[in-house]
Amino acid sequence: MAYVAARGGERAIEQSQRLYRERLGTIDAARVDEIGRALPWLVDRIMGEASLYAPELAALALTQSGGDLYEAVLLLRAWRTTQPRLAVAEPLIQDKLFIHRRISAAFKDIPGGQILGPTLDYSHRILRTDILEGAAFDPEPVERSAEPAPPHQPSLASWQKAQGLVVDFAREDIPKDDIPDLTREPLLFPASRAHRLQSLARADTGGVMALGYAVMRGYGPAHPTVNELRLGEADVEIAHPRGTVFSAGRVRVSQAEVASKAAIENIDLGFCATLGWNEVKIIAGGTLDLNAQHATKGSPFEEEFFLSHTEPVEGSGFCLHFKLPHYVTFQSMLDAMRDARRKQAAKASKAVVKEPAE
Amino acid sequence: MTTLRQLTRPWRPMSYGFLDSSAKRELRRKLLKAIAIPGCQIPYASREVPMARGWGTGGLQVTLTLLKPSSVVKVIDQGADEGVNAVSIRHFLAKVSGARETIDTCEATIIQSRHRVPEEVMRNDQILVLQVPEPEPLRPVEHHISAARQMHADADYARLWLILYEQMVRTGRIMQATEYPSLVNGRYVMSPSPIPRWDVPKLHMAHHLTLLSAGREKRLYAVPPFTRVEPLAFCDVPYRVEDHAHLTCSRSGLNGYFMNEVPQDDGGSLFELSDSGLCQKALRRAAGEDVPIGPTWYRNGVM
Repeated sequence: MAYVAARGGERAIEQSQRLYRERLGTIDAARVDEIGRALPWLVDRIMGEASLYAPELAALALTQSGGDLYEAVLLLRAWRTTQPRLAVAEPLIQDKLFIHRRISAAFKDIPGGQILGPTLDYSHRILRTDILEGAAFDPEPVERSAEPAPPHQPSLASWQKAQGLVVDFAREDIPKDDIPDLTREPLLFPASRAHRLQSLARADTGGVMALGYAVMRGYGPAHPTVNELRLGEADVEIAHPRGTVFSAGRVRVSQAEVASKAAIENIDLGFCATLGWNEVKIIAGGTLDLNAQHATKGSPFEEEFFLSHTEPVEGSGFCLHFKLPHYVTFQSMLDAMRDARRKQAAKASKAVVKEPAE
Repeated sequence: MTTLRQLTRPWRPMSYGFLDSSAKRELRRKLLKAIAIPGCQIPYASREVPMARGWGTGGLQVTLTLLKPSSVVKVIDQGADEGVNAVSIRHFLAKVSGARETIDTCEATIIQSRHRVPEEVMRNDQILVLQVPEPEPLRPVEHHISAARQMHADADYARLWLILYEQMVRTGRIMQATEYPSLVNGRYVMSPSPIPRWDVPKLHMAHHLTLLSAGREKRLYAVPPFTRVEPLAFCDVPYRVEDHAHLTCSRSGLNGYFMNEVPQDDGGSLFELSDSGLCQKALRRAAGEDVPIGPTWYRNGVM
């Protein structure tokens, strides 16, 4: 009898999950596979926010959560955090990236050329309703170029550095294992460069876009020019215990370098990179990075503000937690409020008495 | 030479107590540090757990680190063992650690709680883990974590005193309801988590260890046993707990404890014990069962 209430909670939880999953139906490997193939851009976005490059697991998380993105990111992060960190990969060198798409808005043409790559940027956004009526939408095959673009490209910034337009900072030689790792250390402010970029890399796409867009609209001092945007594939190079460096596989990566239009002596560059292909995030993230050094204390473009508030798992979790009961805090507030009202009423009645009669 | 075998381990679906050993090691070090500097917020990595942030992930990580198979664990939310989130957390803890579940405060070795300290006095062999949404007591007066850290370092709490004074001037009383800023060991001001004012004195010179952990904000802090916890108050305006001493629980008939107000159709209210474990024991005792009820911090509504 005494434990009925506790068991009631358990049953309610179980049934609420059944109700949710009822709508999703049977989940099997075939569905996961289909979702992975049908939604590669969404899979990429989730992998970036989860900071876990695992297309199959990301498709599984997406399927299991029925497409609730924050839920999917949390599933992946919770899985990721239990995995051992076996090795730290070699740093990516720009010239070694396998480039699919690479554009610069700063120059008409750049060394290595503009490579449009896969994009719907210049497509007309017309909904193909004929598909719903039975027509199949088979993409036309890509025609091979007579002169294929070279797979590797120098970075535009290296040309700008050679020209003296961009400051060529001395390279700090930090042992790989000493690079701060945001997943194993708390984010403190001012954040290290590594922590800031890692934090942006796994930030919420929508959140980064909202704040980055606000900067672009004029709320921030520095307006961006896309110096270089890259979608590519990078070899994950691992040093074997015997010393041999080998590629453990390739991952899709996005990188954006954003230049300030307000250059006086040198061009300032903001940078953002993420796992998977996600252009909105890196352009907005690069803009935030660019603006952070000029941001006034307390503005949304200060590092502490935008990094703290674009963390998808923390932000979504906290929003949702307000559904939890808060009746103890509410009761405590009512107690103080009722007492204050009594005091105010008592004070008011005294004040009336003190008023001299006309 | 390091071999691949040394770098890996046999595959297991889940580590004991869910968290992997590197996460537990970090947490244990930070917990020891927190105990050594009472009330000081210690940053920690705060790993993701299979629960959403803001739902007790900080408390969960601390409890997971402390649990062993012989532990007896109680989880309460708003004082209640049967709250859906409390049930969910308690089952998860038991599942991944083999610990026994209980709703009896006296029986538990670890109590994880959101927003309440149980009414029965905790002993020196028990640990209280409080879930913390916002660990920074200075947040209302200083949004920047970096600046607030400096203020703690300088023990600069003037602005906290000022807002309490402003509340006095405006309304005739201090309006701070829960998470009442409290000075720990005469040095650091902490937020005792959103426990009611009723519960803060229970932490003062307590026999048990209290650990407070904010998963989302990545901070943990501690009140070791026999440590002073003094709510900020003016010498001529004493600290005041909720006016619940005269209320009687409509279910158990107990009085002099913190109550939930339950609005009624007739426009009035009934009250019931917020500490549901205590309420259950009182009901079972009334039904003739031989249920021991431990000594309580408050007696007849007085601490």
